[in-house]
Amino acid sequence: MEKSELQFVAASESHYGRCNPNSVLGCAFSILALGFLFYVIPSHIEIPGQMQHPLLSPRFLPQLAGWLVLVLSLILMVDGLVTPPKRSEADEFRRGVPIMRQVLMVAAGVVYVLFFEELGAIGSGFLASVLLFLASDLRNIWVYALAIIFPAIVTLLFIYVLNVPLPPGTLWESLSLI
Amino acid sequence: MENFSEVLTLFLSVDNFLAIAAGVLVGVVVGAIPGLTATMAVALALPFTFSMEPVTAILLLVGIYKGGMYGGSITAILIRTPGSPASACTLLDGYPMAQQGKAKKALKTALYSSVVADMISNIALIFFASYLAKIALNFGPPEYFWLICFSLTIIVSVSGSSVVKGLIAAGLGIIVSTIGLDAVYGTQRLTFDNYNLMDRVSFIPLLIGLFAIPEVIEFYTSKVAPHIRTAVSGASLTWKEFKGLLKTIVRGSLIGVIIGAIPGTGATSAAFISYSEAKRTSPRKANFGKGEIEGVAAAESGNNGVAGATLIPLLSLGIPGDVITAIILGAFMIHGLTPGPVLFQENLTLVYALFCGIMVSSFVLVFVGNAAIRYFSLIADIPKTILLPIVLMFCIYGAYAVNNSTFDIALMLAFGVVGFVFNRTGIAAAPFLIGFILGPMFEDNLRRTMLISKGDLSIFFRGPITWVFVMLTVASLIFAIRRYWVARKEDALA
Repeated sequence: MEKSELQFVAASESHYGRCNPNSVLGCAFSILALGFLFYVIPSHIEIPGQMQHPLLSPRFLPQLAGWLVLVLSLILMVDGLVTPPKRSEADEFRRGVPIMRQVLMVAAGVVYVLFFEELGAIGSGFLASVLLFLASDLRNIWVYALAIIFPAIVTLLFIYVLNVPLPPGTLWESLSLI
Repeated sequence: MENFSEVLTLFLSVDNFLAIAAGVLVGVVVGAIPGLTATMAVALALPFTFSMEPVTAILLLVGIYKGGMYGGSITAILIRTPGSPASACTLLDGYPMAQQGKAKKALKTALYSSVVADMISNIALIFFASYLAKIALNFGPPEYFWLICFSLTIIVSVSGSSVVKGLIAAGLGIIVSTIGLDAVYGTQRLTFDNYNLMDRVSFIPLLIGLFAIPEVIEFYTSKVAPHIRTAVSGASLTWKEFKGLLKTIVRGSLIGVIIGAIPGTGATSAAFISYSEAKRTSPRKANFGKGEIEGVAAAESGNNGVAGATLIPLLSLGIPGDVITAIILGAFMIHGLTPGPVLFQENLTLVYALFCGIMVSSFVLVFVGNAAIRYFSLIADIPKTILLPIVLMFCIYGAYAVNNSTFDIALMLAFGVVGFVFNRTGIAAAPFLIGFILGPMFEDNLRRTMLISKGDLSIFFRGPITWVFVMLTVASLIFAIRRYWVARKEDALA
């Protein structure tokens, strides 16, 4: 292959095309900003009956920020179309990640959001930690002991040393009543 | 004299000393673990401070900040992974020294340079903060309005590689800051009739979400990198070598102090300016970048000289100089204190107790830093596969502890996803936080000014102080835009 051809291949591999993170991001933010300015602000920010000056309006700062985001997003989009950014080495590192690893991470998040009060701080901490250890494919059984030790220690630290209450778990309370 | 005894009473408590020691230790450890930053550590520690006295709470966070500034250099020297952006300069000579078997000497140089710079920075804080606060007593809403405008220009310098993306993030941060009940009229703004949002978006879930959660998501959405083991070896730093470095350290510290006192300039530029100045004046300039001990001293003194100085605008004017001081500002607010000139009037004993603690933290850094050098490999060898589930647990417990609400956990995870998207698309999270903090201050002072003047806009230019801030704002913007264009040109050439 000629030297110029090699250079062309290298260049095409290191740069994105027209559909690149900057143009996509700029487009997405522009749409969001338009929606915010022309739908969200009028319908979700009330204007009081009497107002001394437009600068005192509750809508002033959100509108100012909204227009700022809109204008800058358009600039970002145009910039992305005109000068596509380079690919980074990190992009390669993010390819081919097992889907199960990501699913288990999301599951851990769901446990914390939906079952934190039901399972309590220790219970949800244990379950989420086990899911995350599984996501990393940890085989050593002793590592899983940490999943119970750490939530217990951290919870006790919060409750008894720092006087910050954490939920004991409504599920365990109801089970103990039975 | 009466005040002095009050200061001592407030400061001399076991809790304060424990908070300083624990803070510095946590800061060094977290800063030394690749991937975890001092910003993340300060954000995670914030919920722990709820039940503490204000002085103890702030000292804990300041301790973490200072420890983290030094801790970042450990990984920069040993494994070429700077724990903080500012430590990137330290690796230029620190890592080659480690490769030459002088890791211990490089680490000790970094430690003692950091400690001396920290002391000089603290002294500057003590002398200049109260002086600046006295001047700030003459400020009214128009002056504060321009001061906030000037502070908003720091967004350009914390925007990372893309100013446009940084400004978009700042705009989004300002929008999020307006959620809740309107302060003047009491009407609902962007609450979507959700009562959890009526009292504004909670600061801590937002903070932890933006700075800690993205690290966790990034780890589980990337391939597992092999765990790198580290080693501390070689001879230590001698007194003669240290004496030879003192001139460089003091110069770097002063550069750090000056840069740190200007909001938005940050530790990274201080480290690089100090480094280039040392290189320019050194007789061994050819050795810079190849393992020159003076290079490590210059970078670390510039980096740490900023730590105390960034607290000058925070304590005297109430404006954050960087992301960590923005978090510390949040801690003041959580404890019912408002940094600024009024703090010096109403809580002078507290301010001086803080000064005492900040001075003590520099001494603590010597001991903790030395211990970290000795036992570092034990700490840094915890693999992320075990560490990050524990970090996530701290995040969740911390977010819940704010209002005892799972809504805050969901909010934190949502901001975590936002932070992750920001990371992936090259948007810096710091401008979002600055926008979130300064947005309400901007609006509050704008409205107060308009109410005082009954709509007359000439009040914004009512005296010399307003004009000074107008000029500072314009100058800061011009410098920032110039710096941006120069960086863009250099990028294009590279």
